[in-house]
Amino acid sequence: MRETVRQAARATAGLVMSAALAFGTILFITVLLITATLTLAVVGAGLLPETVLLVRRIAGAKRNLVAQWTGRAIPEAYQPIEGPLRQRLRTAIRGPGTLGDFRWMVFHYVYGFLGLLTAPLWLLGLPVDGVRQGLLGRSPLVLPLIGRLADLDAAWSTALLKPSPEALLAVRIEELTETRAGAIAAHGAELRRIERDLHDGTQARLVSLSMRIGIAKRAYERDPETALKLLEDAQSQAEEALTELRHVVRGIHPPILTDRGLAGAVRALAASSGLDVTVVVDGLEDGARSGFRAPAAVEAAAYFVVAESLTNAAKHSGSERAEVRLVRNRGGLSVRVADEGRGGAGGTSQALGSGGEAGGSGLLGMRRRVAALDGTLLMTSPVGGPTVIEVELPCVW
Amino acid sequence: MRVVIAEDNALLREGMVLLLTSAGHEVVAVAGSGPEVLPALLEHRPDIAVLDVRMPPGFRDEGLRAALEARKEMPGLPVLVLSQYVEESYAAELLGGGASGVGYLLKDRVGRVDEFLDALDRVATGGTALDPEVVTELLTRRRDDPLDTLTPREREVLKLMAEGRDNTTIAKTLVVTERAVSKHIGNVFLKLGLPPSDSGHRRVLAVLAYLNRDS
Repeated sequence: MRETVRQAARATAGLVMSAALAFGTILFITVLLITATLTLAVVGAGLLPETVLLVRRIAGAKRNLVAQWTGRAIPEAYQPIEGPLRQRLRTAIRGPGTLGDFRWMVFHYVYGFLGLLTAPLWLLGLPVDGVRQGLLGRSPLVLPLIGRLADLDAAWSTALLKPSPEALLAVRIEELTETRAGAIAAHGAELRRIERDLHDGTQARLVSLSMRIGIAKRAYERDPETALKLLEDAQSQAEEALTELRHVVRGIHPPILTDRGLAGAVRALAASSGLDVTVVVDGLEDGARSGFRAPAAVEAAAYFVVAESLTNAAKHSGSERAEVRLVRNRGGLSVRVADEGRGGAGGTSQALGSGGEAGGSGLLGMRRRVAALDGTLLMTSPVGGPTVIEVELPCVW
Repeated sequence: MRVVIAEDNALLREGMVLLLTSAGHEVVAVAGSGPEVLPALLEHRPDIAVLDVRMPPGFRDEGLRAALEARKEMPGLPVLVLSQYVEESYAAELLGGGASGVGYLLKDRVGRVDEFLDALDRVATGGTALDPEVVTELLTRRRDDPLDTLTPREREVLKLMAEGRDNTTIAKTLVVTERAVSKHIGNVFLKLGLPPSDSGHRRVLAVLAYLNRDS
């Protein structure tokens, strides 16, 4: 009996809230009518987007109520209302969510008062079910109806508030446009970085090298000793140019990825990081030829994240150990790098950036690179540690 | 010669100073960024300025801008612009104010020290030094052109002329007599419809003006 009552009470609470919401809706529809009138009179055009936002909030409250009862969230698919008034108005009126919300509101105007039915049900149910369950030992009859009422309310709300496929698509397109713009920007920045590296580094070194050889040639006849010294200079510059070129190439696409695959490349990183690193690989077999390979861009990004995280851990965390996990899952590749350090790099690029110059831009670089592939990066770094970086890179296997 | 260098890369700056001093020139000032160039030139009034195109603060074409500005402030100041890649429009901008005392070379050429010093002298004395790559671009830019009527040898002569070489050098490069070179030059001028001219610099100007006319 106690369980029955509790369940019915829970349903009642939800339904009463709904009724309150429905009551609020009545007030609101009055506001709406005023807004509509004013909008027609042009004066209140600015109120319309605000009204739509308010509608969204009310619908959001209902979604929460339903989710609390059913345990299943009703997805939202709204386009942000922003920009100049004209654009806000267009989104407010044409946005795929607006019509649905208003439709729900009108229906809810009626069914929102289901909650009122709970009062007679309680009055009837308590004595009837009390007798049935307490004295006759049979299952309750009336009080569970309150639960059914709440179910009904939830079902109708879900049906009305569920975003249309168009709305879901519109939101998805918005997301894709954003990430694509991000990807293009990241790509552009990458190209500029490479050009800069080549221009300032390798090219300049080669010019200087050629210059030295030229001077040495001129000096050769009258001053062989100087010529020899210049040639030695030239050779060391040639070597430096090669080193620099290697760095640039590694920044574009680490050759070791081609040779060893991601797992092998990450193991090599771990070995040269200066930390005691445990590498756990799941689902990616070692070796370039056998096993699963993610797309090159995903591998390069994962490699970049691990390299950057290990560098940061070695430089800033004070930790001597770290763990790298690479897991292939259905949606893509998970990368997790955890140290045992002092933390405090928590989500703030500034904190790191102000300390060491590489930290902040490194984290930003990681975020950009991951976002460019539609992936997510989560960093937790409470003061006292440890710092954990978790990256999900979607891809098809 | 008294030279002002504008170059932000320490390695190249040092190499350039070494090269110029070993050739008996005097480097009177070194500028490491775009805004430093003009004051240095105004202060030292050098015989020639050697400028890198890309310099701080923007790492774009600060050196080129400084060169153009300097030539406006100090008309006739010889400038030799060096770049890690050639851009025809940069050459056109430089030549826009007249080709006398203008040089535009790939940095790569500096390694050929004798040729570089030769170009430096040429520019300092009011001549022209254009990188072969720029000239090649100028020559291949258009179709349906009187240039197509030139024989291969005449084209070679035209190219060397546009780079700013004199008859002696052209003759030596092509391994022909100077008389033959004169004859080729006469033919080139005839075919392109340019007034014949024998004095070195004016000839180069005519050729460059021709190649640089509206594309």
